[in-house]
Amino acid sequence: MNPTSKMSAASSLLILSLVVTACGGGNNEAQSSVSPSASPSASPSAADSSSESPAAVVEIVAWDKPAADSADKAFVEQRQAAFAEQYPNIKVTHVQQTSGKEREQFMTAVAGGEQPDVVTVAYPDMETYVAQGIPADITDLWNASSDKDNFLPSSLNAATIGGKIYGIPKDMYVTGLLYNKKLFAEAGLNPAEALKDWDSFGAAAQQLTNDAKNQYGYAILGMDWADWFFEYYVWQAGGDLTEQQSDGTVKLTFTSDAAVQALQYYKDLKWKYKVTQKNVVQNIDDNQKDFYTGHAASTPGGADWIGNFASKGMSLDDIGFSALPAGPSGTSPSQVGGSYWILNPKADKEKQQAAFTYAMFLSSKETIEANYQYAKDNGIFPNPLTVRKDVEVSQYVDGLPDDLLKSIQDATKETHLEYFLKSRLSAYVVPAVQKVLLSENADPKTELQKAQDLAQTEVADPYNAEIKK
Amino acid sequence: MTRLIRIHWLPALFLLPSIASYLLFKYYPLLRMVYISFYQYSIVNPPGVFVGLSNYSQFLRSATFWQAVSNTFIFFALYLALTFWVPIVQALLLSEVRKGNAFFRFMYQLPTIMPVVAGVLVWKWMYNPDFGLLNYWLSKVGLGPYLWLNDLRITKLAIVLPSLFAGSGISLLLYYSAIRAIPTEILEAAKMDGAGPWRRLWTMMLPNIRFIIIIQFVAFMSGVLLAYDNIYVMTQGGPAGSTTVVSMLVVSTAFQQSRFGISGAMSVFMFVMIALLTIVQNKLTVAKD
Repeated sequence: MNPTSKMSAASSLLILSLVVTACGGGNNEAQSSVSPSASPSASPSAADSSSESPAAVVEIVAWDKPAADSADKAFVEQRQAAFAEQYPNIKVTHVQQTSGKEREQFMTAVAGGEQPDVVTVAYPDMETYVAQGIPADITDLWNASSDKDNFLPSSLNAATIGGKIYGIPKDMYVTGLLYNKKLFAEAGLNPAEALKDWDSFGAAAQQLTNDAKNQYGYAILGMDWADWFFEYYVWQAGGDLTEQQSDGTVKLTFTSDAAVQALQYYKDLKWKYKVTQKNVVQNIDDNQKDFYTGHAASTPGGADWIGNFASKGMSLDDIGFSALPAGPSGTSPSQVGGSYWILNPKADKEKQQAAFTYAMFLSSKETIEANYQYAKDNGIFPNPLTVRKDVEVSQYVDGLPDDLLKSIQDATKETHLEYFLKSRLSAYVVPAVQKVLLSENADPKTELQKAQDLAQTEVADPYNAEIKK
Repeated sequence: MTRLIRIHWLPALFLLPSIASYLLFKYYPLLRMVYISFYQYSIVNPPGVFVGLSNYSQFLRSATFWQAVSNTFIFFALYLALTFWVPIVQALLLSEVRKGNAFFRFMYQLPTIMPVVAGVLVWKWMYNPDFGLLNYWLSKVGLGPYLWLNDLRITKLAIVLPSLFAGSGISLLLYYSAIRAIPTEILEAAKMDGAGPWRRLWTMMLPNIRFIIIIQFVAFMSGVLLAYDNIYVMTQGGPAGSTTVVSMLVVSTAFQQSRFGISGAMSVFMFVMIALLTIVQNKLTVAKD
């Protein structure tokens, strides 16, 4: 073998390793720690009267260790310690996930046979995870729980598939339009009128845009999550991006009138009204930063973002929350999102029971009330939505602006789940949104048609074929 | 009867850990990837349903895949045109510097100690359209502002640009060492015979470092065709998929769309393609020799 051949062979090995690396995804750099030692004196009443500490010690792994800079780290650790005390025979190893890489890390663990016994999963992931058999069917465990009736029925919607239950509700949020009351007042705008419909909002956002003050009207989400807020506009126009058929298959509706109208409005916000940030594909963190630093006058977002804005120094008196302006359909549904605890279907029955007990403990009345109390004691704006019926949030929100709370509660009156099969279709919708935001000549209908054609052959057809098997 | 093969145990012992790790961490995953590519892979109950070449036909018919292939080769062309030759020129110039040579070599190496991601993040800040340093400088001469990472026409260039300034440390040292290995007497004799700087460059110096250039080119090619981290940090493959390269598609197909079989098939395709390019390049080099 001549030297060049040797190098080619060496390079080929390098290539192999790189291809394999690219295929392998991120490493789990999680740290683990064993929960505090148990005390035999505790009683098993907090979570669920039907859950008792097992006779023999059961060890489970929970991916729920809070990050070092997490605002509620002390609270979470306190509850984990309380569980260890109350259930001495359930040993929980808490593992931290890498922020922003949770999905990749979880899928890597599942593929490697290292799925944790209990982990939280966001609403939109449930349908694809269930299709792959990732979460355990907990219908029997759920039905046997005496605490089950204390949860809001709507909190189970995204976890109930084919009549079976796959997740324990952890938290919920509702989205709407967050706006800076101070900037609206300075511009002489009445929020109720300005946020009435698409036209009034476009005109108001123009008044709020002032290049000299580096201020703009609306922080648009154009990054690779662009479909998240864009779908709201499709709902406002009276449609959706997909439809789930009665046989479980998916029908794409990217090119419906509603979707085209919504994308045209997005385009108008950027090119006609000129009310968005210059960098329309900037990260969502930058959008939030623009809002709490007073550069952006409004942004779509969750009610649970308010606490973050307050912690960054924005006065609660300056934060307004409203349903998004109504579209041509005259409606403006808010999105309900949240997360579930899911269990490992391959874990043995004892571990599943232990993991269920642990998750129910963390979603118990006692834990959720303690969480609200912690937020109140530490000046943290609480999430106004809870998954439970028996928790009275109003007890924990003294001193918070009444109109803010009312507007959040109002936003929950008309809600919508994210579009069906989002986790697989997102990569097709986002480029269409980005194209019209980046190119003034891009035609919304053409871009959506292109996206739909691609998604039909690459996702919908194979998915429907799988479903029909 | 004499033994035909003599095993040198001590060298073999030293080689064993690296051979074992190669088999375990390179060859096993590679073979596993090929295996997965023939299945509609179920990560919960592996391997799932055997589908033969269906995964291959699916991605080969996918416009998204070919867009990613196109992006990958455009990046390759840009990196080749803008960055590959830079360390060669730097090494040639450096070889002529007598005073402060060590200082310059040190200065060229310094940026290589910076983690790639940190360097990319610095550039990402410099590209910011509102308060980025680059637009600020350009505004001083009446240019811009440019939307470096938003403009579909220049985003790829913006990703490649940082490598032009700080991507040549180790390559430069290799080229420099090769140049220094050329016997001074030969160069001096050529000079005495009247060969000018260009003639010495084309007929003596470049041919003598050709071997290093070929090695570097093969490594460069595989590195660029499988680039991931710097592009991901800069644009996450956007905007509108304009910087999505094949390695990025492989990861998103597996971990976002949960289609591990197709992801594996794409990886095999890339492996075969790069291996073929390497072989072709190798053959051409041998033929030229």
